[in-house]
Amino acid sequence: MRCAESTTYGLVTAAYGEMQDDASTIDLDYSVGQNGADAAFYITRPGQKALKASDNGTFLALFDKDIAIELQKLRRDLFFVHAAVLTRGEAVMLVAKPGGGKSTLTWALLHHGFGFLSDELAPVDLGTLEVHPYPRTLALKREPPGSYPLPRRTVTTSRSLHVRNVPGSVVKAPTPLGAVVFLNYDPDATAPKIRRLTPAEAGARLYANALNPLAHAGSGLDGAVRITAAQPCYELVSTDLPATCALLARTLEPSE
Amino acid sequence: MSEDHPKRRSDISARVVADETVVLDLGAAQIHQLNATASFIWNRCDGHNTAGEIAEKLADSFDVDSETACQAVQTALRRFDELRLLDSARE
Repeated sequence: MRCAESTTYGLVTAAYGEMQDDASTIDLDYSVGQNGADAAFYITRPGQKALKASDNGTFLALFDKDIAIELQKLRRDLFFVHAAVLTRGEAVMLVAKPGGGKSTLTWALLHHGFGFLSDELAPVDLGTLEVHPYPRTLALKREPPGSYPLPRRTVTTSRSLHVRNVPGSVVKAPTPLGAVVFLNYDPDATAPKIRRLTPAEAGARLYANALNPLAHAGSGLDGAVRITAAQPCYELVSTDLPATCALLARTLEPSE
Repeated sequence: MSEDHPKRRSDISARVVADETVVLDLGAAQIHQLNATASFIWNRCDGHNTAGEIAEKLADSFDVDSETACQAVQTALRRFDELRLLDSARE
């Protein structure tokens, strides 16, 4: 990624700094920056029409979307799920509707001994059932509750809060999947609840959150079912964050 | 019980996992989960079995009385129809 000036460089580093690597092999060649009288942001790739954004939040959102699509094209072998992924020995996939509290719960769980693998994309190797890392910075849409305050170095854009230096470890290696959790935020619930899902129910739910199912055998149905048949899957109704974290941590404790 | 011969749509994908079935209707952009009873009925919607025959097999396999089995089959077939999972031009 080439970046012409410091504002855009700061944004890109805030969002993708954990993914920085040497440039010995280039899979995607981006140029980003600001230009024009209105200092609009641009994103270009060779042979592609430039993307433009009027503000920093839209710029990162456009970049997120573009790179997610390009990664799916580059790694058609992987089954991409729209999910956050934490680690606790094995990977724990957190699946939720947009705005369903996935990133907020991820941020909270990082204070309870979980490691960070991804906030947004869960690329699964269907052969090994390992989840590949996608450690783009955790992005929250709003301030989390006071029990989990954001660090000072959080970068704020017009759309989101990008949290660098998360309290848990950032995992940068493929990690075997150990559980899939479908999150359902209910602000009116008096206590969090968790229930085990059958592989079929979980498979149907997972399929609905798959990003590239048609790139796989059986229109992706085989992949979704393979994932949910191989490990425990749960529906978690979340409410108060500390109680939700405690319930999930207890549920995922290895049985004696 | 109807003498209809319900038949699954041929363009629908389904996978059985742990006695349940995941049914993918790409045309309608819908995915469904069938429990064990619905899966049993779904698997016998082959265009040969009548609804009554499916109910008899259900009664035998799940050790339920005929009336309960007939109701379960009627309910499931009605739901499959509502979801347009069955061939509409069947006998």
